[in-house]
Amino acid sequence: MNNLIFLPIVLPLIASVIAAFFPKKLNFSRKFSQITSVILTIMTAALTWHVLTNGTIVVQSGGWDAPFGISIVGDGLSMILVMTTYIIGTAAVFYAPSVLDKQQESFYFYAFYFLLISGVAGAFMTGDLFNLFVFFEVLLIASYGLIVLGNGKVQLRESMKYVMFNVFSSMLFVTAIAFIYAITGTVNFAQLAERVEYVGQEGILTTVAIILFFVFAVKAAVFPLYYWLPNSYVVPNAVVSALFGALLTKVGIYSILRVFTLIFVHDTGVTHQIFIWLAMFTMIFGVIGALSTNNVKLIITYNIIPAVGFMLMGIGLYTEDAIAGSVYYLMHDMVIKGALFFLIGALIVAAGTKDLRQMSGVIQKFPLLGWIFFVASLILAGVPPFSGFIGKILLLRGGLEQEEFLLVIVALISSLLILFSMMRIFIRGFWGDLMENISDDRKRVRNLTIPGVVLVSISIFLGVGAEAVYPHVESIANMLMDRTEYISSVLKE
Amino acid sequence: MIYAVFAPLLFAVLIPFLSRWKEKVHTGWLILPVPFLIFLYFLQFVGPNFEPQVQSVQWIPSLDISLSFHLDGLSLLFALLISGIGTLVVLYSIYYLNHKEQLGHFYTYLYIFMTAMLGVVLSDNVFALYAFWEFTSISSFLLIGYWHYRERSRYGALKSMLITVLGGFSLLAGIILLTIVTGTTSIREMVAQADVIVDSHYFPFILAFLLLGAFTKSAQFPFHIWLPDAMEAPTPVSAYLHSATMVKAGIYLMARFSPILGGEPNFFFLLSLFGIVTLVWGSFMAVRQTDLKGILAYSTISQLGMIMAMLGFGTDVALFAAVFHILNHATFKGSLFMVAGIVDHETGTRDIRKLGGLMTFMPISFTLAIFGTFSMAGVPLPFLNGFYSKEMFFDATLVNSATGPFMEALVAALPVLAVVGSIFTFVYSMYLFFGTFTGKYKEEELPQTPHEAPKMMLLPPFILVLGVITIGLFPEMFNQGLITHAADAVFGAENNKDIYFWHGLVPAFYMSVAVVVLGIVLYLTKSKWEGIYSVLPGRLSFNRVYDWLIENIEKGSNKITTSYMTGSLRFYMVLVITAIFAITLGVLIQTNGVNFEVTDVAPITVKELIVAAIMAIAAIATIFVHNRIAIILIVGVIGYGLAILFVFYRAPDLALTQLIVETVTVVLFMLCFYHLPNLQKSTTPLLTKGVNVAISVGFGLLLMVIGVSAYNSRAFDSIADYYIENADPLGGGYNMVNVILVDFRGIDTLFEVAVLFGAALAIIAMIKLRRDKGAK
Amino acid sequence: MEIIMTGLASILFGAGIYNLLQKQLLRIVVGTVLISHGAHLYFLTMAQLKRGAPPLVVDGVTEYADPLPQALVLTAIVIAFGVTSFLLVLAYRTYTLNKTDNMEELRGSDHE
Repeated sequence: MNNLIFLPIVLPLIASVIAAFFPKKLNFSRKFSQITSVILTIMTAALTWHVLTNGTIVVQSGGWDAPFGISIVGDGLSMILVMTTYIIGTAAVFYAPSVLDKQQESFYFYAFYFLLISGVAGAFMTGDLFNLFVFFEVLLIASYGLIVLGNGKVQLRESMKYVMFNVFSSMLFVTAIAFIYAITGTVNFAQLAERVEYVGQEGILTTVAIILFFVFAVKAAVFPLYYWLPNSYVVPNAVVSALFGALLTKVGIYSILRVFTLIFVHDTGVTHQIFIWLAMFTMIFGVIGALSTNNVKLIITYNIIPAVGFMLMGIGLYTEDAIAGSVYYLMHDMVIKGALFFLIGALIVAAGTKDLRQMSGVIQKFPLLGWIFFVASLILAGVPPFSGFIGKILLLRGGLEQEEFLLVIVALISSLLILFSMMRIFIRGFWGDLMENISDDRKRVRNLTIPGVVLVSISIFLGVGAEAVYPHVESIANMLMDRTEYISSVLKE
Repeated sequence: MIYAVFAPLLFAVLIPFLSRWKEKVHTGWLILPVPFLIFLYFLQFVGPNFEPQVQSVQWIPSLDISLSFHLDGLSLLFALLISGIGTLVVLYSIYYLNHKEQLGHFYTYLYIFMTAMLGVVLSDNVFALYAFWEFTSISSFLLIGYWHYRERSRYGALKSMLITVLGGFSLLAGIILLTIVTGTTSIREMVAQADVIVDSHYFPFILAFLLLGAFTKSAQFPFHIWLPDAMEAPTPVSAYLHSATMVKAGIYLMARFSPILGGEPNFFFLLSLFGIVTLVWGSFMAVRQTDLKGILAYSTISQLGMIMAMLGFGTDVALFAAVFHILNHATFKGSLFMVAGIVDHETGTRDIRKLGGLMTFMPISFTLAIFGTFSMAGVPLPFLNGFYSKEMFFDATLVNSATGPFMEALVAALPVLAVVGSIFTFVYSMYLFFGTFTGKYKEEELPQTPHEAPKMMLLPPFILVLGVITIGLFPEMFNQGLITHAADAVFGAENNKDIYFWHGLVPAFYMSVAVVVLGIVLYLTKSKWEGIYSVLPGRLSFNRVYDWLIENIEKGSNKITTSYMTGSLRFYMVLVITAIFAITLGVLIQTNGVNFEVTDVAPITVKELIVAAIMAIAAIATIFVHNRIAIILIVGVIGYGLAILFVFYRAPDLALTQLIVETVTVVLFMLCFYHLPNLQKSTTPLLTKGVNVAISVGFGLLLMVIGVSAYNSRAFDSIADYYIENADPLGGGYNMVNVILVDFRGIDTLFEVAVLFGAALAIIAMIKLRRDKGAK
Repeated sequence: MEIIMTGLASILFGAGIYNLLQKQLLRIVVGTVLISHGAHLYFLTMAQLKRGAPPLVVDGVTEYADPLPQALVLTAIVIAFGVTSFLLVLAYRTYTLNKTDNMEELRGSDHE
């Protein structure tokens, strides 16, 4: 049973290779990808359920005991994130055929898609710092492939910037691992946690930890490192943006969450205090960005950033409530960002433009799209009883318990402005007189709306049905704060 | 009870499915029974022997969030208003809204609102209360924006949403603090711990957050500005939300939490202050309006201020009056909104300057309006309920309950302010009434020829006016069964008042007389003193503040964002690297991490030094070389130098790999850049160059310091020994590096290959997929 | 020697960053190559240099260089190679499509 935990990482890699062999047979590729995704999602759900009920599964790859081999750790946190990844991925493959043109599809979209999933799942599940780097590279190379898909002029221009930033941060990652290895002589998470605790995270370790934080922060789009994000998420195809928006920054946040709750937790006065300040600025500049434009896709893209601020806030506060809030928010944000990018893609197809100033009255022709978008906006702003709300209560409670009033007020005002930025789209784009050159292709718009509907439903469930989910998140937060279970289950002591 | 709360929501969901019959029947008829049955349900509790009811359903027990409903006197009063006026409004809307409009949407929003509002007044769990609270904001947004093709509707909808949701978020912070302090999410349990809350050092924040929530919702000065713009909603909505229900949610909240917050004198002070200011300002501004609904909107603001102020006085008589006035206001204001809607519907305009002399055309509306406006004005007649509560209000301003220095100062001014506010109330009531129904009939200005509305449309305001009269004539009928229970719930004390028409020649009576006399004088001379509005408020207005904010939020954020999102890779890189540099350096200094105690280093040899020197020179040379072939070759030199270093450092596998990789890379470089233009002499300004140099040198130095310190801080032996010992016996290979790669850390290698695979695919896709017909 | 090597790696890093901050695509790509060399050299240096024999099992030898960093660096080199090749082609295609190799001319605020 235990070895099955590899499957969410390895099977998509195999699927990717298979998909790469049949790029021109579109019908086959589509069916193959859709069926495989569904099967993998069901399988991952079963594994996740198993982990949540029976406890963490650790597999030492090749049978080499930690810390000598690479440990793949399926704990609650990893598994729920992997499962969320699969759900979004599955929605994406059903969305893709209606939004990509045939050329884009046939130039390895599905291969890159599976490679991306494989890298993301691996990053969530690995228990080894260097292996994390490798999975980062896997998901990055897949994202490079996806971002240039179609070879538009503007696309390549923005891809160049995106790739440069990631290459730089990857090299900094290698350097940071080198420094950590110099001090501790290991790269295994659990052993690192033990060793860092043993020396009390003194002196240079905290500095190296901060470098590592910045490596993740570049990927997570934390202030002031997010400049690469807005344009490079806007230029690719909607389905690619959805995958990026839902998954990539979250891998960065997950890494911060993992490393700064498991390993570097002995000087929180320095590290986590920095997180709180950065979280605050991330929220502020994120919403400012979201309000600055009339490009509907860019509005959604900018809204990724304040959400990152929220999650970072929870990590910075470092109380059980706040961590639980971050974890809940992480899940919620993956789902809702995926949904919003899907919906905005549908809106752009329906309206035939990205410019808010040229849209109006879309809801009159596409009511389902309009209402789902409205609900999604509320979810994003954290209105109860939807999923954003649960995370928000926990985060705010954590903030207020720590008496970070300024942080809480900034968070609340950002929420309001997030709502404002979304309502601008709703009021100006969906309301008003029916625009003239609106799309007539109802079938296509419907196909593009349905994946969004599915994700929004999941998001509603995460809020209304929180009782089915929250206890697990609570015990995950408990484990993250306690650390001993992770360490002992990996090192078998 | 839970069914009563959620029944409207259930029907809201069903409405789209009912639409198949809507061709034949107006959707309103189909769902009219829902609020009426709810009304009957709650009516059964009314009576002198009322006992609070509790019903609880679990929702998210692990977060202590449940749907627990607690029906006490206050909740009962509100529940009856919501369902009762809800019934009338639905009935009214059937005639108000045309068959052809999107009725499904309208009733869906309205019923969502009804559930939300019932939830607010019945919830005992603060989080459930908050959830319902936000839903009142959202459904009211949708209702105000119902005619979304109108620019003003969209404007009003957004405004009301932003302001009330701001309050909602503030409320959320307040209730989270309450739960932190008390450890419970139940309001009743919080009340039991009131002293703990007041003594907690969080208290000022709790107070501020909750007040902001209530003031925005109940349109208190200066947050009142959303209410007049909310008049863009269809009139049934205004009659429902903006007279009887939603705006009262803030009042409800304050009443509900007064047992908790009442331990703090400043609570009363703030409520009184904001309440009385709102009362005066609202009534003052109402006189100036020309739109019937505009007058009513400001009137509502002022009346809400009055209720808020009465809650703020905190005395028995004031609290009782507050509760009593909630009921009275709902009746007369509801009827007035409906009459205004009828006038609008039948004449096609709500502009009071175009109206006049409608008495003869619309006698029934005229009669209804008499009762409504005169009751609102507080004219002392025994069949007008407005007078009773107003008289009590005056009474309450005279009772000195001053606690705390601020309150004492305010108390002295209260009676005067109350009278001033009431005078203006009187003036606008008269203006509203006489301006519409008497005077000259201006036929040419009206879009339609006026005639009386259908009887069924007149029924709802008629029922409300009946309420006005009944409460006026038989106040005791409502007192024992309802008002007293409600007032009890506010402060938790026994609160048994008798309601009389004639109080005797008490000061309150003189105040009432003064209001009527001065009111008549001011009304008759209105044209003489109207000029004052150009001075006050003149150009000052919180609307302008709001508009300025909204406009500048968009403009400002655009300015800020475009100022740093320049699209320049260099600029981004400079910002990012500087940020990383600054913060890392800060941490390095703060944690005192520098460690230059060199221990245990390998000896320095000349050959290594030579290679290192060549590499360093080559690296720096890349900066100065301008020939593309030369720079590629120099990069090659560095790569090969590295390979040689690998040889020195006992890493033969690395050296081999590096050699191969470097060779291929150089070839690729040549292939790709052969077609690119040659490097130019950089023409960058000196400043830019200086920044570049500073950043690269600074970052290099920082890494050097950290690297050396890290090296010197070696705290553990590496885990290498295991590999050294076990590579052969367990791994079955002599080359330890290879064994690690393929066995110990096989996953790394597997996915390293995956990276190459991905890179290859991406390259193929980039080269083969050419769509650049002039580029997209 | 480790200190000197750290210095060399830092010079590579610094020179790489300087090139990264230039306008021309070629220089920028060269910058990333230098930085990756720097990072790899850091890694090897951090694990101490010249301790024991090359990590090839030979009878009688007990002191070996730490094989783990070598394995990790090898992985990193190969990955860097993959990414660099991709980057080169990307730079080439960007140039041919946009008709310029100057990143400052590739700012752009249009999003297609």
